[in-house]
Amino acid sequence: MMENAWLIPLFPLLSFLILLLFGKRLKKASAYVGIIFTLASLIFSILVLFERFSEPTYMTKFEWLTIGDLHLTAGFEVNQLNALMLFIVSLVSFLVHTYSKGYMNGDERFPVFYAYLGLFTFAMLGLVLSPNLLQTYIFWELVGVGSFLLIGFYFNKEEAKAAAKKAFIMTRIGDVGLFIGMILLFWETKSFEYSEIFKAVDSGAVSGTMITLTAILIFIGAVGKSGQFPLHTWLPDAMEGPTPVSALIHAATMVAAGVYLVAALFPLFLASKTALLTIAVIGAFTAIFAASIGLVQTDIKRVLAYSTVSQLGYMMLALGSGGYVAGVFHLMTHAFFKALLFLAAGSVIHAVHTQNIEEMGGLWKKLKLTGPLFLIGTLAISGVPLLSGFFSKDEILIAAWEGGHPILFLLALIAAFMTAFYMFRLFFMVFTGEARSEMKHVHESPNNMTFPMILLGVLAIVAGYVNTPWFGSFFGDWLVDGNPALGHGHIEGPIWIMIAATVVSLLGIYVAYLMYFKRSLSRNWLSGTGDTLHTILLNKYYVDEFYQLTVIAFTKGFSYFLRFIDVFVVEGLVKGVVGIVQGLGKTGSKMQTGQVQTYGAVAFIGLALLAVIFALTGGYLR
Amino acid sequence: MSLKTLSEFNWSVMTPEFIILGVIALLTLLDLFMPKRLDRRILGWLSIAGIFAAIVSVVSLLSVEPTSILHDTFTLDTFGKAFKLLLLAGAGLVMFLAVSYEAKDGMEDYRGEFYYLFLTALLGAMFMTSSSDLITLFIGLELLSISSYILAGIRKHNLKSNESAMKYVINGGISTAITLFGMSYVYGLSGTTNLGEIANTLSMVADGQQAYLLGLAFLMILVGLSFKLASAPFHMWAPDVYQGAPTPVTAFLSVVSKTAGFVIVIRILIAVFYNAAPSGEGGSILFRMHDYLAFLAAATMIIGNVVALKQTNIKRMFAYSSIAHAGYLLVALTTMSSNMIFSVWFYLLAYMLMNLGAFAVIQVITEKSGSTKIADFAGLYRRSPVLAVTMGILLVSLAGFPGTAGFIGKLNIFVGAFYGEPHYVLASIMIATTVVSYFYYFGVMTQMFFRPARDESKFNVPFGIIVVLIVAVVGSILFGIAPNIALDFLNNLQ
Repeated sequence: MMENAWLIPLFPLLSFLILLLFGKRLKKASAYVGIIFTLASLIFSILVLFERFSEPTYMTKFEWLTIGDLHLTAGFEVNQLNALMLFIVSLVSFLVHTYSKGYMNGDERFPVFYAYLGLFTFAMLGLVLSPNLLQTYIFWELVGVGSFLLIGFYFNKEEAKAAAKKAFIMTRIGDVGLFIGMILLFWETKSFEYSEIFKAVDSGAVSGTMITLTAILIFIGAVGKSGQFPLHTWLPDAMEGPTPVSALIHAATMVAAGVYLVAALFPLFLASKTALLTIAVIGAFTAIFAASIGLVQTDIKRVLAYSTVSQLGYMMLALGSGGYVAGVFHLMTHAFFKALLFLAAGSVIHAVHTQNIEEMGGLWKKLKLTGPLFLIGTLAISGVPLLSGFFSKDEILIAAWEGGHPILFLLALIAAFMTAFYMFRLFFMVFTGEARSEMKHVHESPNNMTFPMILLGVLAIVAGYVNTPWFGSFFGDWLVDGNPALGHGHIEGPIWIMIAATVVSLLGIYVAYLMYFKRSLSRNWLSGTGDTLHTILLNKYYVDEFYQLTVIAFTKGFSYFLRFIDVFVVEGLVKGVVGIVQGLGKTGSKMQTGQVQTYGAVAFIGLALLAVIFALTGGYLR
Repeated sequence: MSLKTLSEFNWSVMTPEFIILGVIALLTLLDLFMPKRLDRRILGWLSIAGIFAAIVSVVSLLSVEPTSILHDTFTLDTFGKAFKLLLLAGAGLVMFLAVSYEAKDGMEDYRGEFYYLFLTALLGAMFMTSSSDLITLFIGLELLSISSYILAGIRKHNLKSNESAMKYVINGGISTAITLFGMSYVYGLSGTTNLGEIANTLSMVADGQQAYLLGLAFLMILVGLSFKLASAPFHMWAPDVYQGAPTPVTAFLSVVSKTAGFVIVIRILIAVFYNAAPSGEGGSILFRMHDYLAFLAAATMIIGNVVALKQTNIKRMFAYSSIAHAGYLLVALTTMSSNMIFSVWFYLLAYMLMNLGAFAVIQVITEKSGSTKIADFAGLYRRSPVLAVTMGILLVSLAGFPGTAGFIGKLNIFVGAFYGEPHYVLASIMIATTVVSYFYYFGVMTQMFFRPARDESKFNVPFGIIVVLIVAVVGSILFGIAPNIALDFLNNLQ
């Protein structure tokens, strides 16, 4: 089966092509095309995953391009990480395809939406199968294009257009780092292939500084894609896209690509202590930073967006502390419960037609399925014992502690408290309390929307049991099998960490309960006690503003000088280039008089000029 | 030359040419004796069959050792085989366009000639790939040119078509004169017209004066032949001629004729100027003159791409785009890397596929709308998603995006520019002008996908066009994803 893994990305590609060509004629049947093809991908992925449990890594490559004595290869590889990612991506994609049939119903560009989903899924599946950096990079960019199209799907909305652009540009900034890192590695190791790169790093053929430099550059690419500080601002804005897209892109696939990249290149990162520390610090900071912003957001999707940023920070922290298994484990559980949360949020929005949680309330009785499912997701992400998020978060905390980062561990623990708090704040505000009078016609979503949520709900509960301190760490052992460098399947940690994590998350839930359910604590304690803090959080630490402000301050500081450069040099240059190109085009068109004499004359004058230069330079130019 | 020596030549190496010649003769006779009322389209299908037979015969000759007959005036070598296949494939696809072309504006009575004039032009081009003598090279060139002149003007009652033919003849005449003048210098200095002997004689030019004359000859031949390449400074005829000529002829000029132009330029550059090495430092004439070549390549890329931005007529836009592509190919010639012939061959292959495919779409659209404005493409995605997506793929390939043959072609040339002495300036101009080209190619995309259609009428796509489109799209993607197929093929040639 594994030798046929290359078929997995091709199914969604086929779906994309068919829908692009015949979408107009298929109309609503487009959904079935998309669903059937992603189902095929899913079945293949499951078969591949199960075969990979018992068989060794499969890899094949062929010479793709020869330019002179430069040989580039292409191929695909099924190792543990890739097989797992194939499964996660194709599963979530399949569920999102199914869900969208109900959610996007009635949209004018319904077939186009499914076509874009196919393109994006193809790119993502291609990405996780790539055995070399160049191929990864090509698919990486394609993922960017796919997300651009999906986020900007409602292109009549200015915000959506702006968000799509922002996402594209922000991640492009990271991509530049990745690109430079990739080229540097190629110069050093003479290969794009992962295995060759690891070999060269192992043998000491690459200097330590170079490893650190390239590792950090590649990490910058991951920072962009995975929405880590300071390139995170695109992710919340990207919520302008349709909600199923958020479940696909912002839970399981594109944002996970950055974590995947770090995991796939883990041996390279392991060779540099500095790079690892950078990842851990950025990860821990992002985790608490985004969680604190999540405390005060009032848009249901934005809360989830910031929680995604925060959870991705956790994964980075785990990887940076050397916890390969913990990072990948959390990547998997997070994919399930966050996709569930997004789909459930979509179901809520579908029912009440608003995203503002202040305007919601009392939906528990009306959405009999969505409510409990949302609760499952909330419990899982809060790290309540016995659900999947509990086990993976525990692994991360242990990894951070054992990795020797007590401060980062503390940050992560506080972030866990905040997570439990803001997630239950969200839950209580949406599902409990008074039902709004204008929400009389609220009804549960159709079956094709609830089915994916139920499946994800089950996974959000049980997915953690593949790797627990009680029932054995089957998952972790399998993940690092044959790769002792990646560390142990399960890191033994002190038992108090697990207790602390539980206490912290329960405490968060309790505070949220007091504040938003019992209302015995003032809801406005934050804005009451510290007006500034609340404002700061509400404004997301002014990062967007900071970006604007620094530019302005910078301009003011060097006011005239910069103004001069800006107006006369930069602008002049830009205008000049455009003007020259336009002018040349105009002149060229004007010279095209239509008179055949002119044409002959131009040729003749050209020849004469060349001959004159030739004569004047004494025959030879050099 | 006695009959005996004549019969001793290994004529079989000329089979492809004989097949084409035979088909031409057959078509002429059929056209003469067929009743007037019968549809001449059958002649077009016969030509396609003939071209196919010629392709088969070239393939069967692939394993033959390089052979020379007729006192070294006709050589079948690797170079000849590879480019002959390219020409035949290109001409075959053009024939499919021609069969689907609707005859009007006074062309109705000359339908038969329309087909076999393509074949005579092709025959000229094929002779050029195999000739190793200045005279046969020139004869091939003229056979190609004169046939094309008539083809451009075959719509007798169409003013644009007449104008096109007229301009083509006059400019062609000037270019021929210049080329011949340059060749006469070469002959005068070497005393022979055989390329091999020229190379021998000129490899020991002792005299600085002679080297000087050779330099002048180089410039003249280059400028004269730039007419066929449609490159600076002899490019200005292209937009007017392309616009007025029937679409299959335009396609032929932009692909087959250009390929033939590069064949003759490479033959002469390598045989004559690469080997001509005056004593003293500085290497061969070609090496010393390569700044001029670089200058013309840069000028061609800039002119083609920049002026294309301003066009509102799709055929004129493609004329400038074809100038631009000639510029990229000249970059490969300038750098003369060890990979040069493969780069040029592959680029011409990719260019043939994507350009002929694009012209097939253009033919469908312009015949429907009756005009050749770019605005006629508006809303094509709504009217015919298949045509729009096909055109989209071909445009993306023309612009040189990864995953398409156009990308690999540009990559080969680009990497070649860094072999030996790096050509930073030329490589940067190539990148910059490629970026400029995105604007006009994507202008057409915007029209197709994001503009409302003026009318919603559907298209009838003839069978011939479908064949061309399938070949073009499959080829563009196949050679973009697995370029080594082409490389292996060329490496296995004997």
